[in-house]
Amino acid sequence: MIEVQALAKQFVQGRGRARRVIDAVQAVSFTAANACITGLLGANGAGKTTTLRMVAGLVVPDAGRITVDGIDVAAQPQQAQARLGVLSDARGLYPRLTARENIVYYGRLHGLADDAAQARADGLASMLDMRPLMDRRTEGFSQGERMKTALARALVHDPSHIILDEPTNGLDVLATRALREALRRLRDEQGKCIVFSTHIMQEVERLCDRVVVVAGGCTVADGSVPELLARTGQTDFEACFVQLAFGTGAHAGRGD
Amino acid sequence: MRAAWQVFRKELLDALRDRRTLLMVVLSSVAIGPVLLVALSALVADIEARAEARELYAVGLAQAPTLQNYIERQAWAVHPAPADYEAGLLKRSFGHPVLLVPAGFERDLADGIAPRLVLVTASANQRAQGGTGAVARLLHGFGQEQASLRLVMRGVGPGLLQPVLLDEQDLASPQVRAAQFTKLLPFFVLMAVLYGALHAALDTTAGERERGSLEPLLMTPLPRSAIVLGKWGAVAAMGMLVAVVSCFSFLPGQWLLRSETLAAMFQFGGREAALFLALLLPLAAMLSALLMAVAIRCKSFKEAQANTTVVVLAVSLLPMVTVFNQGGEQPWHLWLPALAQITLMQRVLEGEALGAADLGLPLVVAALLTVLCLAFVARQLRAAALK
Repeated sequence: MIEVQALAKQFVQGRGRARRVIDAVQAVSFTAANACITGLLGANGAGKTTTLRMVAGLVVPDAGRITVDGIDVAAQPQQAQARLGVLSDARGLYPRLTARENIVYYGRLHGLADDAAQARADGLASMLDMRPLMDRRTEGFSQGERMKTALARALVHDPSHIILDEPTNGLDVLATRALREALRRLRDEQGKCIVFSTHIMQEVERLCDRVVVVAGGCTVADGSVPELLARTGQTDFEACFVQLAFGTGAHAGRGD
Repeated sequence: MRAAWQVFRKELLDALRDRRTLLMVVLSSVAIGPVLLVALSALVADIEARAEARELYAVGLAQAPTLQNYIERQAWAVHPAPADYEAGLLKRSFGHPVLLVPAGFERDLADGIAPRLVLVTASANQRAQGGTGAVARLLHGFGQEQASLRLVMRGVGPGLLQPVLLDEQDLASPQVRAAQFTKLLPFFVLMAVLYGALHAALDTTAGERERGSLEPLLMTPLPRSAIVLGKWGAVAAMGMLVAVVSCFSFLPGQWLLRSETLAAMFQFGGREAALFLALLLPLAAMLSALLMAVAIRCKSFKEAQANTTVVVLAVSLLPMVTVFNQGGEQPWHLWLPALAQITLMQRVLEGEALGAADLGLPLVVAALLTVLCLAFVARQLRAAALK
């Protein structure tokens, strides 16, 4: 279980006169339960990536508290990181290594023995349907192939918590479906706690058990898709999101 | 430490897989010894051949049979100078000084009027310049002979003309003389080590940022010091590999020496190679850390290449201090990395013994700088991943 309470983070850009303070995250709170897929839904620049980076221990929050299974990320970052599998916005692979070597390298960094890491890589390869890719160098991989390799790399130490930052960016329909299927299986078969950020409504509707709507660096709504629809009195989830994120005054053209 | 070892193994594998870069670096460092030695020995052999050649190019020598007779008695071969010798000397296509004999030489000599000989050369033409001394000595000998003959005819002993005798004694050992020619070698070895580490240093820092693989790496539960140590180890290993290869390439390189004198003077054996390595390995470690510290601040490989030019420039300019500084070696030379190594490698080539202090001081400086640079990289790592 991941618990995030009243998270805040400011960034300072430039120096002297050009100095600007950006409130990336102001008040984000949510709880992501085990065996549950939690979606962080928000427009571009709403603070999703910064929030997930703070959860992953890469950015230190100015205020607020994050716990992973009760472990405080700020106090014990390495213990928390050991329980997290993160597919971040940056999902660079090593082009001169094969997919298997990329995955096993991360397994070794997480403290697995070589044979355990190899076995785990094989298991993930069958789960993500990427067996033929395993012994090819990742140079020249397609977006989907890269994403699968990066996901396998994030999952190699069998983390109980999985964090994905806009995982379907740049993926085609089939790859998106395959990813969705994989996430469902991780939730249903292994009871993982999965948090992912997105700005795509369809994905949230199809996949999330729970949705956290983030706007302007704050959590503005939290609930399942039917709950949020009921709360806003909308039938279309897109309209529901626009109303929650930007208020009733905002008008977005109805999608058709 | 185990984690650092994993990072080291992966980075080294990654660097070794980059075959094209590796091939260029290793080839150039292997080639450096033999190629330099061959070029140097060709130069020295040419100078030696010219010094021994005893060939004189002259204009109008036929009008001076006495002089010609003397020259031929000294076993010199006389050639008429080509018509365009002046242009040839200036363009350096003709490499001999030319003797101009005036028309009335023989008559003036007989009348006791000193005839004026002209030896034409161009001081920018080193080959011609090299032969000037020998020709001047030859002509001086002719003058001596003529003077002696005249004194003898007047009943005066020729010894009167030589109240003082002069012998020259050269203190420089053969190694020191060879070191004049081999001054460039330490510099090239040093640059090879720098270039050996350069690519790997950029790839593990700025390259990692550009690929977007630094952020995932920092999300593993690894202490940052382990990541930095592992990366640095791999970069330093590349630099050290090049150091070893280029030092040992001088050993077989010696067989290719064309000049016998140089071959006799240039003694580079196992001891010299070992001393070179004792100097170069700590330097490779330090340069790797320094390059990483410069490159970690850069967002892309290209930007890092531009920024590390400063390091490359500094390392290639520091040895110039010995060229500009005519006062010889100063104590502070040993405090500056690169300059210290060049100075000491020079001493090794000159056959001097190196004391523990000579080896120890640059080692301590290198170790200190390495630690400082690595601490800086570790500090910058997180900021670098996010920007």
